[in-house]
Amino acid sequence: MNNNKLTVSHAPFWHDGDSLFQMNLNIIIAALPAIIFGILQFGAPALGVIALAVSSAMIWEIISNIIARQKQTIGDLDSALIGLLFGMMLPATSPWWMVIIGTLVAVVVGKMIFGGTGANPFNPALVGMAFLMLSWPVLFDFDAAYVSYDVNYTALAPLAALKSMGAESISGVFATGDLIMGKQLGAIGSTFGLGLILGGIYLILRGYVRWEIPVSFIAGIIICAWAFNLSDPTKYAGPMIHLFSGYTLLGAFFLAPENSSSPVNTIPMLLYGFFAAVMIILMRNIGLYSDGTVLGILLFNLANPLIDSIRPKALGKGVNHA
Amino acid sequence: MREMISMIVVLTVLTSVSGFLLSTVQSVTKEPIEIAILNIVQAPAIKEIFPEAENDPIAERFPIETENGPIKIFPAKLADGNTAIAFETKGKGGYGGDVGFMVGINLENDQIIATRVTTHSETPGFGARAKDDPEFVSQFAEKSMSDNLGLKSSGGSIDAMSGATVTSMAITLAVKEAQRLYKQLKPEILKQIK
Amino acid sequence: MAQSLAKEFTKGLWAEIPPFRLVLGLCPVLAVTTKVENGLGMGIATTFVLVFSNLLVSLLRNIIPSKVRIACYIVIIATFVTIVELGMQALVYPLFLKLGIFIPLIVVNCIVLGRAEAFASKNGPVLAVADGLGIGIGFTLSLAALAAVRELLGAGTITIWNGVTIFEMGVNFQPFAFMVQAPGAFVALGLMLAGMNLIGKK
Repeated sequence: MNNNKLTVSHAPFWHDGDSLFQMNLNIIIAALPAIIFGILQFGAPALGVIALAVSSAMIWEIISNIIARQKQTIGDLDSALIGLLFGMMLPATSPWWMVIIGTLVAVVVGKMIFGGTGANPFNPALVGMAFLMLSWPVLFDFDAAYVSYDVNYTALAPLAALKSMGAESISGVFATGDLIMGKQLGAIGSTFGLGLILGGIYLILRGYVRWEIPVSFIAGIIICAWAFNLSDPTKYAGPMIHLFSGYTLLGAFFLAPENSSSPVNTIPMLLYGFFAAVMIILMRNIGLYSDGTVLGILLFNLANPLIDSIRPKALGKGVNHA
Repeated sequence: MREMISMIVVLTVLTSVSGFLLSTVQSVTKEPIEIAILNIVQAPAIKEIFPEAENDPIAERFPIETENGPIKIFPAKLADGNTAIAFETKGKGGYGGDVGFMVGINLENDQIIATRVTTHSETPGFGARAKDDPEFVSQFAEKSMSDNLGLKSSGGSIDAMSGATVTSMAITLAVKEAQRLYKQLKPEILKQIK
Repeated sequence: MAQSLAKEFTKGLWAEIPPFRLVLGLCPVLAVTTKVENGLGMGIATTFVLVFSNLLVSLLRNIIPSKVRIACYIVIIATFVTIVELGMQALVYPLFLKLGIFIPLIVVNCIVLGRAEAFASKNGPVLAVADGLGIGIGFTLSLAALAAVRELLGAGTITIWNGVTIFEMGVNFQPFAFMVQAPGAFVALGLMLAGMNLIGKK
């Protein structure tokens, strides 16, 4: 007799008071440490970019709901969260029109066209980012973006430096401790590793993010980067620089576990996180882009329905000796 | 049986009429096509590479046999009395196919005079800048034919165009092919020019 | 007669406009619409092939045995495509450079074979030519329209013929380069389809 079977009692059920609004609000709260740090680091322009991203994302949702004659769903904060995550991935110097076009693509093409909240096959914020990265790669050159900033640490974007100069010449330039504490150039919400980790742990504890995806994602980054590093340390950087720079931690805790575009079963979640991370390292080490996080996660969003079909057998099915 | 015969007859007649038609069209268009390639693709590049040539490199062109068929060599007399040549190579693996690249070389000191992209199907605004904006290709000017003219990321001396690494790579491959051909063909070319 | 002639001609312009209504022949639609001039050139080449192959298929429709009809159609179509390709090289070589591989691919364009099989083989030569012309012009217009959207957003220009630019955005315009890349073709096509459905919805 197996006592571990899931038993569901009869109705009536008690709603635990949770809602989309609650969930999105909690994710926004979890993202705040990294954002506040980014604003302190890059100043008022960063605040402007974040505010514009959030507000324009919400406005696009209102407009597309009016055109499609649907009920307004703006109150569930989903678009606000998309705008926020999208803004976190931008450099603080992004021009206003780029932010607005990006949220247009993210919200309308990434989410509303597929049927709104919960129906998107891709992470909307990443769809918007992919559009912008393909269109204006020059504006995502963090070194050029922050050229007028005066900082008291190495004024180089770690991954771009890794791509253009090779691992050997930057070894020792970026101390892991500095990277964790946000002493690096990068997007508004991606530099402060510690804040992202704290936010992620908060989300896992509150149950809004299952631990499987972030843990397997980080494991994938570390294992794959370490394997590359072992094969040729002069060419490929170690796992720490990959883990604490670029969009990696943002991806692990906020982007990859997005509800409707990530798997729901345990084994698929582990596979999804791990292989998305492997893909990212492959793109960084072999591919053309200095940071493959956006495209790597999008690619595994695409594989999500396929890997999510690895699921436990339904009760009563396939039992031969019942 | 009747149907079988009609099938064979119709197909045979149709294909032979088609074949005859095509061979006629081909023989009529052969010459205009060669002239078109010369005028539209190669001549403008030659004019940009040798703006002050004292002869007409296009009229004095001559073919040279290589292992991959003949290539056209365009000889030019420079203002300082030296002789230079230009020829076209293909760079494999551009974003939208092969990239044609014309290289002009000073025969006296083996230095590149100038280079131009001839044919390409790269993305407008990215790889297509290699043709529209001469900044990238001007890096090759005055480099020696024995230098490593690869991209900086592969140990050479050429900066890739930002956002168009694939195109830049294809062009450096075309230059490397030109270097190889030049080394192989130089004695032959000198013989033909003298 | 005149009425049905007009009907066969105009149906290709809206009611059965190929890439949007029939959703046929997407390969060139997606591949060559980075510039208006490429779209126009491709459309004109396809129209030429479509008109002549429709005419010939319709003339020969009682001679061609039904068992080998597809082979015969392909021979006819391929002949005209090769004529177009050679003629293009001789007359408008710059355009040929841009369309390149997509000209030979007109042979397998489903619109051309589709019209031969579905229409020309069942109707007289006059109607078949009207149908070919209508569908061809519709195809040309939709290629040009899609190309105009992509080129305007992606490169900030509209180039109608051989480098003649009729419209150019200001110098401050930052081209939305995504639109002239391959994925942009799918997105632009999808948005235009959605727009057409929105207009056509009663």
